[in-house]
Amino acid sequence: MSIDLKNVDYVYDSGEPFEYFALRGISLHIDDGAFVGIVGRTGSGKSTLVEHLNGLLFSTRGEVIVDDEIVSKERTVLAKVRRRVGIVFQYPEDQFFAETVFEEVAFGCRNYGFSKEQVDESVHKAMSTVGLDLERFLSLSPFQLSGGEQRRVAIASVIAMGQKYIVLDEPTAGLDSGTKLAVLTELEALRQTANVTVILVSHNMDEVAEFCKEVVVLDGGTVAFQGSTDAFFSDVDLVDRTGLELPESYRLARALKECGSSLTVNECSTSRMLDSLRLCVSDLGGA
Amino acid sequence: MALSRSFVLGQHYPGTSVVHRSGALVKLVSTIALMIGVFVATKTVQYIPILLLLVVGIGVSRIPLRFFVRGLKPILFLIVLTVVVQIFFTPGTPIWQFWFVRVTREGLGLAGFILCRLVLLTLVSVLLTASTSPIELTDAVSDLLKPLSYIGLPSAEIALVMSIAMRFVPTILEETERIIRAQVSRGARIGEGNLVVRMKSFIPILIPLFVSSFRRADDLAVAMEARGFRVGSPRTRYHARHFQSFDACILLGTAAALSGVILWRLFL
Repeated sequence: MSIDLKNVDYVYDSGEPFEYFALRGISLHIDDGAFVGIVGRTGSGKSTLVEHLNGLLFSTRGEVIVDDEIVSKERTVLAKVRRRVGIVFQYPEDQFFAETVFEEVAFGCRNYGFSKEQVDESVHKAMSTVGLDLERFLSLSPFQLSGGEQRRVAIASVIAMGQKYIVLDEPTAGLDSGTKLAVLTELEALRQTANVTVILVSHNMDEVAEFCKEVVVLDGGTVAFQGSTDAFFSDVDLVDRTGLELPESYRLARALKECGSSLTVNECSTSRMLDSLRLCVSDLGGA
Repeated sequence: MALSRSFVLGQHYPGTSVVHRSGALVKLVSTIALMIGVFVATKTVQYIPILLLLVVGIGVSRIPLRFFVRGLKPILFLIVLTVVVQIFFTPGTPIWQFWFVRVTREGLGLAGFILCRLVLLTLVSVLLTASTSPIELTDAVSDLLKPLSYIGLPSAEIALVMSIAMRFVPTILEETERIIRAQVSRGARIGEGNLVVRMKSFIPILIPLFVSSFRRADDLAVAMEARGFRVGSPRTRYHARHFQSFDACILLGTAAALSGVILWRLFL
């Protein structure tokens, strides 16, 4: 099971003089249980691509296939696809409307006809996944929470539906760095425990290097790269050409190498670099 | 996107023609004058002066005809309804009869007259809004209201409210679409089911929309005050316009068309 895009074009105002290709010949493959990053500069088509994954937009040409189901405007197909792919949009707390946190998180479950017990169970599970204390929050108004708590409730309101694929469009935008890390760690835990596929749209390359094993790099509505995150960040020219930046840790590793320092580390994400540095230091101590 | 696209009447078609560059106040005044002219006319032929001016205006503006046709669409139903009513329900000399359905000469004439009236009114206003940006238009309205400020009407504030409202129409439409996408992704079905269910399905859209609009209004007020805006203090304009020769042409043309209609009605 997987998400596949085959030669997808998306054209705004097709046939009009202002015709504009937002996506052009996109082909990609996302495996079950993966943690995939979608990166690219502003206007490269990331958000347009994301909206194809659960049938909010329909390709002008080409096919979007979610688990053997070709996404189309047909009602039954659309219902199936939306049941499988959840999207957390940018600033998802802007969608709040319910009186209590519980009602907010339960909204999706109710829409999909969960029984009362199922709703209770899903809400509790989702809240603990995002690390919020149930008893404290459930009866509060979502509008009185702090920014980080609101973001977590919004994420919980999507993952409560128990979809197989969760797409998050910049889920950490505007959060403090501690909360950023915590939210992504919770998503990684969700992936491991519930085998949920996580698709992360992000501008933060440190995040991407840390959490995504694979990346899809978009540039001008086309796929500039798809493959392992390490392979992408080691191709400095490609990173530059697609208007992106190297993660801090990769830059540090390159800088050390370039200045001929005796201390060399592999190019890798911050946490892995820290691990290898610790190992270095303990070796030195042992010697 | 879909919502903002269907918002045609009152849409701007940017361009650099003489019609686009002439003053918004001039265009607004001449649009009002032409509309008065349309209502002054009592026979279809009396529309000719207005039609001539409109054809010249549309030609010079270089706005595609397609754009005007689209502008007619929203009132298509109204046009068809009135025309049908006029054709079949006007008493007079019958020229075609079948059972109780009767078409009279007077009915046809009246239908044609009303058809022309509605089409002309729409085309005139489409030409105004297509060739004038909303901001220019609100400035023109505020100029038009200025004399009333001497009798206590806060014309500058009214113009400000109007221009802010216009400025935020696309923003709020976009926001609405964003919220709809988010709620649909959470399994919401909007506008389905019976009336009660359907009304309820709008709650998850309306509440976030209100919340964000209030927040936006607050932010805007703070941002304006931070940049020195004070209610009641005199304001200058960034784009100062001076009366130009083609402004005079438009006014003269309008005056000619309007007096043509009036003279035609009085003396012919």
